[in-house]
Amino acid sequence: MDDDLPTDFQVIVVGTGMVESIVAAACSRIGKNVLHLDSSDHYGGLWASYNFDGLQKFIKEVNSDPKRQLQVYNLAEKWYIEKESAQDEKKEEGEEKPEDAKPEPGKKVWSQANFAAEYRKFNIDMTPKLLFSRGPLVELLISSNIARYAEFRCVTRVLTWLSDRLMPVPCSRADVFATEAVGIVEKRQLMKMLTSIVGYNEEEMNNEFKDWNDKTFKEYLAHKGLTPNLIHYVLYAIAGGTNSMPCLEGVKECKKFLMSLGRYGNTPFLWPMYGSGELPQCFCRLCAVFGGVYCLNRPIDKVQTKTVDEGRTVVTIDSKSKTLNCDHLVIGINECPKDLISPEPAESSDISKAVFITNGSIMKSDKEPLTLLRFPPLNDGDHSVTVLEVGPATGSCPKGLFVVYFITNKVKDAESDLMGIAEKIFDMSGGDQTEETDKPKCLWSFFYNVKDTSAPVSSVVDSVHVCSGPDAGLDFDRAVEQAEQIFKKICPGEEFLPRAPDPEEIVFEDDVTHGPEFTREHDDDDAPKE
Amino acid sequence: MEDYKFLFKVVLVGNAGVGKTCLVRRFTQGLFPPGQGATIGVDFMIKTVEVDGEKVKLQIWDTAGQERFRSITQSYYRSAHALILVYDISCQPTFDCLPDWLREIEEYANNKVLRILVGNKTDREDREIPRHIGEDFAQRHGMYFLETSAKEAENVERLFMEIAVELMEQAKCKELPKYDGSLGPINGKTTSGECLAEIEFLSNFYQIRLGTPPHTFQI
Repeated sequence: MDDDLPTDFQVIVVGTGMVESIVAAACSRIGKNVLHLDSSDHYGGLWASYNFDGLQKFIKEVNSDPKRQLQVYNLAEKWYIEKESAQDEKKEEGEEKPEDAKPEPGKKVWSQANFAAEYRKFNIDMTPKLLFSRGPLVELLISSNIARYAEFRCVTRVLTWLSDRLMPVPCSRADVFATEAVGIVEKRQLMKMLTSIVGYNEEEMNNEFKDWNDKTFKEYLAHKGLTPNLIHYVLYAIAGGTNSMPCLEGVKECKKFLMSLGRYGNTPFLWPMYGSGELPQCFCRLCAVFGGVYCLNRPIDKVQTKTVDEGRTVVTIDSKSKTLNCDHLVIGINECPKDLISPEPAESSDISKAVFITNGSIMKSDKEPLTLLRFPPLNDGDHSVTVLEVGPATGSCPKGLFVVYFITNKVKDAESDLMGIAEKIFDMSGGDQTEETDKPKCLWSFFYNVKDTSAPVSSVVDSVHVCSGPDAGLDFDRAVEQAEQIFKKICPGEEFLPRAPDPEEIVFEDDVTHGPEFTREHDDDDAPKE
Repeated sequence: MEDYKFLFKVVLVGNAGVGKTCLVRRFTQGLFPPGQGATIGVDFMIKTVEVDGEKVKLQIWDTAGQERFRSITQSYYRSAHALILVYDISCQPTFDCLPDWLREIEEYANNKVLRILVGNKTDREDREIPRHIGEDFAQRHGMYFLETSAKEAENVERLFMEIAVELMEQAKCKELPKYDGSLGPINGKTTSGECLAEIEFLSNFYQIRLGTPPHTFQI
């Protein structure tokens, strides 16, 4: 079947990570002839989501392939539950359980076998990220009409770790005034401070911040007379910072948070249904709709460039028995031959990650919560840890379970960097799952390190464009920004992902051999069209 | 607000060239496109039909060519209400691939999705798959079965109308595929007082709309 793969394209994209997929969609959208390949059998690369079975395969594959361990390493998977539960065995024997042995409703006793049986209900992200409601990705999804391929849920609460326990962070004005954790005077202080942050403008550099260039955000907050509790909320929970965060960076992060409030929900964040791994696929779908050719399971061997007539450079790619030609090659950094990268990317600190599956939320809630917790550094010099907890309503796991992601910059290794925090919010001891505890039981954990390949990298050839890998950040902003830059290099002067027409706007010509044409409605979605 | 009570997402899968696009265009536009043009720029087609005096909007999604090298995105299958698996009755290989398609469907689609097997191109003289073989296959895999000809407009209307009727039936019995633990309204009735935070929005494909519930929205 692979044999009828065409060989000549204007743009070939290798890898289906976030940046690659956005570039592919943008090129295809304005009429470029695009081929999009991936060496594996699924979309997303390191940005993918896996069901439970797929994740097991991923772990096995990486552990048996030293080459892949250059990207992902220190994989450590651990179970805290039995292989088969006593319940299952009894059921098989057809015995009736005695009444008093029945677990509380909602406190199912999970076994490894249950996970295997329900493997399809898991969608576990390798690169879990949130979207700011008014961030660049949400704006792009809306303006390009790619939003129709995805569904989202709002993050319902932001938590922090304060005085040795989890505390909700007041996000909105209403929250601030409703919370009992903050006194009246503090409330007014906080509102005043937040208002001045919203007024911050990089270009004009308002008077308020002009002397704070070389100071820390914490110093600024202290200078404003904020109480230690308020400093904690603003610095760690809202700005996601540490004690050494520069003032203007903190102001920018806070502003981003505040500006995204009030659009969709109580917090500034959205989470994609079925996980972050859905998002690259949405862009791939758009690329395909505009004629992009898709081929997974298609590894590439060799990339070369040759100069043809008039000094035009053509990139050739050997893949299986074929030679593919293109004017521009867009390639994910992990797929890219090393000799094309220039200069060698600087050593960066890698990323420590963990995934936990638990039998309850880290903090009880009436309705199923979707939580962002930014865990402040436990010791000086540590990094803060981003914690995301998602439940069954997001399509991430079966009922009764939660999936919790930890992300931080690597210091030692994933397990040492993150275990301390896991122990604070989970019961890691295994044992009786029906037992009523303050903390949810951890049923399964998976620690791993990822090489940080998020720094922009340039190639030795102008027509080869290297896409960065996932960063440790909370959102997709860097990926969107980089994709747009690459697109502008390939298609200077062209619009980046103009709005795709709605089906009602497409006018078919009688002769379909050219493919249907469409007319674009300008700024008027409601214009009647028959 | 548009005037319809139910919105269903129907997706088509099957090998390249079995006539998926032709089925969609025959139904939505009443025409049979000559030539095998690729499906550029077309995402999904919409047709509103009437069932028991109620307006039902069908949103019919095509594969956008990603089936050619077996590279359909998983997200294509998400939140589909009905899934039409198509083969060409005059082309054995398209029938032989059905188990592969089923595996993919089972992996990614909701397990309650309404599944229909369609043998297309009954206008062809060179039939390779007898009708009963297709029927057997459908029965073994719990699917509805129908043979169609997009070219002769045979059974095409019936195919989509039966889907609409069946989905509406399910919707009325509240058996519509929905996300486990979903907090969204399944039939437009909202559990009142919900705040915006709990609601999934965007393409609310799986939601049957009765007007616009105040807390569902699209970005």
